[in-house]
Amino acid sequence: MQKSKSLKYSLALAALSVTLVACGGNDEANTGTDANEPANEPANEEPANTDAANNEEPANGDGNTAAEGDAPEKPESLAMWVNDEDAQLDAYEEITARFEEEHGIEVNITPYSMLEQTEGMSLDGPSGQGPDLFFQPHDRMGDIHLQGLAAELELTEDQQARLAEYNEEAVTAFSFEGIQYGIPAVVETYALFRNTELVPDAPETMDDLMATARELTDGSTYGFLMEATNFYFSYPFLTAPGGYVFGQDADGVYDSEDIGLNSEGAVQGAEVIGSWFEEGLMPMGIDGDVMNGLFTDGQAGMVVTGPWAIPDYEAALGENLAVSTLPTQDGETLSSFSGNKGWLVNFYTDHEYWATELALFLTNPESSATYFEMAGELPAHTAVEIDDEFMSPIFDQTQYAEPMPNIPEMSQVWEPIADALNFIAQGEDPQEVLDEAVQQIRDQIVIMQ
Amino acid sequence: MAATNKNDKHDLLVNKKHNPTVAALLSIIPGLGQAYNKRFLKGAALFILFAAFVVAFTELISAGLQGLVTLGEVPREDDSRIFLSNGILSLIFTAFFLSFYILNIQDAFKDAKRIQLGWKVPNIREGFRNAWDNSFPYLLIGPGLFLLIFVVIFPLLFMVFLAFTNYNLYNAPPRNLLEWVGFENFVTLFTINEWRTTFFNVLSWTLIWTFVATTLQIGLALFLAVLVNDPRVRFKKLIRTVLILPWAVPGFVTIIIFSALFNDNFGAINLQIIEPLFGQRVPWLTDATATRVAIIMIQVWLGFPFVYALFTGVLQGISADWYEAADMDGANRWQKFRNITFPHVMFATAPLLIMQYAGNFNNFNIIYLFNQGGPAVRGQTAGGTDILISWIYGLTFTNQQFNMAAAISIILGILVAGFAFFQFRRSRSFKEEGTF
Repeated sequence: MQKSKSLKYSLALAALSVTLVACGGNDEANTGTDANEPANEPANEEPANTDAANNEEPANGDGNTAAEGDAPEKPESLAMWVNDEDAQLDAYEEITARFEEEHGIEVNITPYSMLEQTEGMSLDGPSGQGPDLFFQPHDRMGDIHLQGLAAELELTEDQQARLAEYNEEAVTAFSFEGIQYGIPAVVETYALFRNTELVPDAPETMDDLMATARELTDGSTYGFLMEATNFYFSYPFLTAPGGYVFGQDADGVYDSEDIGLNSEGAVQGAEVIGSWFEEGLMPMGIDGDVMNGLFTDGQAGMVVTGPWAIPDYEAALGENLAVSTLPTQDGETLSSFSGNKGWLVNFYTDHEYWATELALFLTNPESSATYFEMAGELPAHTAVEIDDEFMSPIFDQTQYAEPMPNIPEMSQVWEPIADALNFIAQGEDPQEVLDEAVQQIRDQIVIMQ
Repeated sequence: MAATNKNDKHDLLVNKKHNPTVAALLSIIPGLGQAYNKRFLKGAALFILFAAFVVAFTELISAGLQGLVTLGEVPREDDSRIFLSNGILSLIFTAFFLSFYILNIQDAFKDAKRIQLGWKVPNIREGFRNAWDNSFPYLLIGPGLFLLIFVVIFPLLFMVFLAFTNYNLYNAPPRNLLEWVGFENFVTLFTINEWRTTFFNVLSWTLIWTFVATTLQIGLALFLAVLVNDPRVRFKKLIRTVLILPWAVPGFVTIIIFSALFNDNFGAINLQIIEPLFGQRVPWLTDATATRVAIIMIQVWLGFPFVYALFTGVLQGISADWYEAADMDGANRWQKFRNITFPHVMFATAPLLIMQYAGNFNNFNIIYLFNQGGPAVRGQTAGGTDILISWIYGLTFTNQQFNMAAAISIILGILVAGFAFFQFRRSRSFKEEGTF
């Protein structure tokens, strides 16, 4: 008998100690996760000055010397999480090698999917295992603020001066309620792609575009296609006549009570979108797959999509592919939705200053140029010259783009508006369905708080 | 030994002085009771183990339990989720400790009782052999049990506990501390109008979906299995292979392909089949009823091969004698099916068929991959084909309302547990029936 008991006990003890070690900072809390947006979220904005020369050196050089003077002590190494795509990892390997050379601080890169980083930070941050820098799209700022994952940046004057050279919209996109949280790295938005065989010249105005569309559309070929029931892409057409998502005060702080998606302007825009379906210019049930399929088969003259489509389109159309900014309406270029991605400093880091320095280094013109070359993403720094027949027009479009609102309430907007656009495509009354959609958004916002 | 005659029990007491109650009381300090029983080695081992446990874990457990009550005090530094998980671990350890403690007292009491009745304490060698013989099964189960506790019970407890906190996006660690809110989340679920009204629409469709899709897939499988099993059918192997093919393709691939095939304007089903035959298109993805029909058809396609394979196996196991006997009695084909084939097949497979229903009740994949629960229905947040699980997914995970997600998961879990309970009941009836 005696051994039987003690055997069980020692087993129990052994198991307990093993699990204790293993269960250390473990926890299931994060099973839920993000995904508050339709798949297309990535987007970016930014005004881009293609003009400026590559002479980042002065600003940068000065900055560094000034910084070294009264800077806190250098850490031996900094850690950062890089989105786990080979091109991006390679690019940052190269860029951080330069940082190591310049400052003598080792940079450790961990591949980590961008979409899972907040979840990881929420647990690793407080337990002290987080990196110094992590990478996030700007529209997660609200969530990150509420969870308190990112450090509120206290920029030195010198750092502020350097940040002033970035695209202003992109910088504010990384602030939440007036607190600057991040350094923007890349911008992304969509533009007008066309098949030059069908549409040789880029349309100047929306009227031109519609005229071409009517001319070309004959039942099997379409003149102009876009995911019109996807709010991300239909944004320009709702905002051009005066619609808006959330009201903003002078400092860019959003008011989630003030929803402008059933305003007169938005309804007017929605009526236009509805008319495309009514006239048969656009087929019902149009989605990204259908649009891409028709365009690559040469059965669509113009489509609206983002830079991610370039490789496939180029493979299918070759020389016939051309990209331009969105046309104008009432004399102004349509403003697309943009998404920014940037670097945030871990709230729990001990090296806030140097982490910020690293973030600024990663996004300076030289690094941005390397990054664009290797990973193909458009920089948020305005002093980079983009020389690419497809990317340049998209970079131009970022000048007219507006960042998606970065408040958490935005996650409640996508679906009701997409549904409303679907009803409008089916011929229902725009005012009525938009009123319903906005009411739904309000209800949902109340529930989530 | 004493059990031979209960009435004489008292007369048979050999060691009247040896008192089981004393042994049990002494065991309040583990090991002392065993020592009283003169099992010194066992007593010493027990004492050392308990002492070690107390030294090593007391602080940890009390801190864990305290943390479970407070869930942290300093925002930003204390992470409530860590407190919660440590607290749950402490609960599990405490449960371990208590059960071993009680076993220890019982052990001392029992041994003392046996000694009272004249039982001789075995020597070390015998004791060792007894221990080995008795505990061998536990040794084998042990690792599995611990795995179960920490891989299944622990996360489950965590989820259950979350349902009673206020963990949502606006109150998320590490910035904020969590608090216990009692049944508030469950009350919210049934008092907020939007959730409640949509809940019943979605629930009714979920039930229709579960019943119709599963019954059709079983019906089709039965029909095909019986048909192919007929001796007059040739090329059986080929036909069976073809019928099982839908099973061979990963479900999500099939669903995505079907979602393209069903596209209103560009899908092959409208363009190549419906329009040439009937002169019009069916709004497969934009009309709620049409989408429901489509999604049920797809589920039948996806689900029947498994049931078909199951039925085919059972059909081949039915003895030909039954049918011969039926033929002698002059039964017709329908009677043979109704009284021999059908009961055989159903009895052998009932538990698995019930699990088919349970599977479809929570069949998130097909709903989400086909159309994300769409099409949109005016005036409600759920789409036309959203079942409970996909609606909840959208409602809670886009809002990061972990507390509500946990609360609803508990409700769903109870519903599915109902299915599982039913299944176990069926399994038993099957076993007890025995003859089939």
